[in-house]
Amino acid sequence: MVEEDILFEVLTEAMRRGADFADVFVEERIVYNLRLEEGRVQENTSGTERGAGIRVLVGETAAYAYTNSLEKPSLLEATRAAAAAAKSGKNEVISLENRRRLSSPWYHPVEEEPLALSREYKLELVSRADMAARGAGSKVVQVVVVLGEGRQKVLVANSLGEVAEDERTRVRMVVQVVARENGEAQTGTESPGILGGYELFKRISPERIGRKAAEQALTMLEAKPAPAGPMPVVIANATGGVLFHEACGHGLEADAIHKKASVYAGRLGQKVASELVSAYDDATLPNRWGSFRFDDEGVPASRTPLIEQGILVGYINDRKRSMRDGVPATGNGRRQSYRHLPIPRMSNTFIAAGKTKAEEIIADTTFGLYARKLGGGEVNPVTGDFIFSVTEGYMIRDGRLAEPVRGATLIGNGPKALMEIDAVADDLDFDTGMCGKDGQLVPVTTGQPTLRVRELVVGGTAEVI
Amino acid sequence: MRREENVLDRMAEWCEEIAGRAGSRADVEIYMQESRGLQVRAFKGQVEELRYSHGMGIGIRVIREGRLGYAYTTECDWQGVRRASEEAIHNSRYSEPDEHNVMPEPEEVSQDELNIYHPQVKEWEASRKVEMALELEKLTLSFDSRITKVEVAAYADGDSEVFIANSKGFKSWYQTSHCHCYVFPIAEDKGEAQTGFAFDANVKPESLDLERVAREASEMALSLLGAKSHPSFRTVVVLDRMVAAEFVGFLASALNAEAVLKGRSFLAGKEGERVAGELVNLVDDGLMRGGFGTRPFDDEGFPSLRKELIKEGFLVSFLHNSYTASRAGTKSTGNASRSSFREPPRVGASNIYLLPMKGNREDIIRQVQEGVFINQLIGVHAGANPVTGEISLGATGHRIRRGELAEPLREITLAGNALNFLKQVVILGEDLLFLPFEGSLGAPTMAIEGVMVSGRG
Repeated sequence: MVEEDILFEVLTEAMRRGADFADVFVEERIVYNLRLEEGRVQENTSGTERGAGIRVLVGETAAYAYTNSLEKPSLLEATRAAAAAAKSGKNEVISLENRRRLSSPWYHPVEEEPLALSREYKLELVSRADMAARGAGSKVVQVVVVLGEGRQKVLVANSLGEVAEDERTRVRMVVQVVARENGEAQTGTESPGILGGYELFKRISPERIGRKAAEQALTMLEAKPAPAGPMPVVIANATGGVLFHEACGHGLEADAIHKKASVYAGRLGQKVASELVSAYDDATLPNRWGSFRFDDEGVPASRTPLIEQGILVGYINDRKRSMRDGVPATGNGRRQSYRHLPIPRMSNTFIAAGKTKAEEIIADTTFGLYARKLGGGEVNPVTGDFIFSVTEGYMIRDGRLAEPVRGATLIGNGPKALMEIDAVADDLDFDTGMCGKDGQLVPVTTGQPTLRVRELVVGGTAEVI
Repeated sequence: MRREENVLDRMAEWCEEIAGRAGSRADVEIYMQESRGLQVRAFKGQVEELRYSHGMGIGIRVIREGRLGYAYTTECDWQGVRRASEEAIHNSRYSEPDEHNVMPEPEEVSQDELNIYHPQVKEWEASRKVEMALELEKLTLSFDSRITKVEVAAYADGDSEVFIANSKGFKSWYQTSHCHCYVFPIAEDKGEAQTGFAFDANVKPESLDLERVAREASEMALSLLGAKSHPSFRTVVVLDRMVAAEFVGFLASALNAEAVLKGRSFLAGKEGERVAGELVNLVDDGLMRGGFGTRPFDDEGFPSLRKELIKEGFLVSFLHNSYTASRAGTKSTGNASRSSFREPPRVGASNIYLLPMKGNREDIIRQVQEGVFINQLIGVHAGANPVTGEISLGATGHRIRRGELAEPLREITLAGNALNFLKQVVILGEDLLFLPFEGSLGAPTMAIEGVMVSGRG
């Protein structure tokens, strides 16, 4: 994309102007999106984007400038803009003898390269998902299938002389279904994704994706309004992991910790969860949607223990925070694109499997809510308060799954809920998502086994129980 | 203006050239966007982040016999455009024909002074803008001894140029500028922490009111100290105008004609019906002077205009672009919208707001006597479903007792159906405020009766 010599010229310029550290991030991204709606392909979009961002660290300040042009004069101009913030008066010369290519043991092979496949084939995949969803029943009135693929090439070089390259191919299919009966509508969504190619559809067929989304919408048509009030909540595996991601994970990101804007600041070594809980962030998991070889600062991906048997053991670090605090970078410096500064972000974050069977947890619950599928949610990292929508939920009565309920939300406090987890099953599974923070979206996976929280407030529309 | 005219002429020539390559009766549109900006974040008296941005890109839309193809590129010379146009033409072969895929016929666009650009954003040195972020942090920290930290104090601005040309002969451009500042303070007392938020936005930096932002954000954080949940009950809720504006954003997505036509809106099929209390008037005005969503023409070159969406509680119009208007057999409302050159035009509101009525927040709280005041919502993206109209959101706020704000509340939820909420609007205040994030959403303080508020205790 850009010659290494030019990148080091840029870095030399940044250091000459007083930077403590500088790096340059070069990106090329080729994307293709296909959107089928009302049984027809309605949008068919491709894009090519190139750009570079230059970061200059001086004291506590991170200055950044980006350009769409990868020509040397533009790169130098961006460097000067970023370096204008550097007033340290330092004037360091970087030693170019230290230049070295970094390696990472974590490969994520692509079996079926998107660019090698025809549009006809991709069209067939979305049609198959559409047909399957429509075939699930006459109450299915709308189906939207979006197939997205992207190949992102990344080159990072920094003033330590390090150079790292990564290439990330990702494919994802999102199916949204609307089912309607007696003027009432319900929705279902399924959205598997992979860091890899079209082998995704060998693991899960388009038919299965379509059917699962449709079944969720159809089930929810039968649902009654959820009751409101405090009760035990069993959260199913896979999508339930979003709760840990939001209510705990963000609070473990080093920027929130540094600003003490997190309930987990200063709590390393302390008990923050039930002893049944161990949790990790792991970007090395082969071909997971949130995986990578190097992060966006050129640090190799790694597996980071966050909580072990209830004890807080680690935070999610990027380079800036780890350099300042003198702790190892965990390979979590990520960014949406060359237009953005890297910040500490999760990759694949999950609660580890326990030993109980999921069925036993339900059998052991006299009354409560079973949240099979969680939608999005939000959390206030300072207080730990959270809210999540339950997109597919059932009541548990006398140890059995009973009627489906709709419109339920889970509301609670992250630290409190983690302490109140009283059962963890052995069925760890994952789900994909796009995580937003500081206006930047990055692909992540969330994961967990089925587990039970002793008590959460369920917000619903039905009267108090 | 020489440069801009030249850019437009070149784009028009490219459109002709690409239309020729695409074959008979093809329509081609080129959308180009160039934007610059500066963002500053202050933390503990220092500049934490300083970001300069300068980006440009081109999006090419090709419609051949009703088949839509789209491609974009950041290489804005003919070589890049030619490559992207080939992709767009190729993509169009794989879309199904739809007679409603049309580009608008060129029409005169407003020549009025819209007050959406001020050169001050460009003229001010970066150092002056850095000072604003630092000053905002300082003002916030000195507001009260219990404001112990500021998570983020930020200033951001930008100016942007949009050019559109199409093979039907439309070519025009405009320039906008904006700046805003915001702060997230943390109030602490007796081992408990609460956050607040406030912002200001304008076309020029000197108009930003840092003191008001510092005060309002701090007051919000302080007022929540000691907050507890509340037993579930059905009551009147008073929504702070920022919260009410978020509700307007939710309505905007349900009024989007694309969602309506495709059965993805709870307002589908309700045109002409009563959908709200008679106090409710909802307007979208693309020509509002100085509005954050104001443009002379929309993102496919159709002239902007003002239209009523809900009038005295009756649903009178949806938001349309050329495609949805053709399908619905009506005229575009000038609401073609795209988030950037990376996507073809869809539908979006311009400046959408609830017409203000009478009274400020205190008056309304006094009038309500007993209920709940809501100052922050949690989970708007997750807990409000524009397809079903179901709403279930976390919130913070205060209990209203005897016409005054009483104890602070957290870990509570509001739940119900948007149609019921709309029909149960009983008071709208006079204190209209626009949120400039994710569109331009305006609302005054408002009261809704009969809302289920759940919590524990």
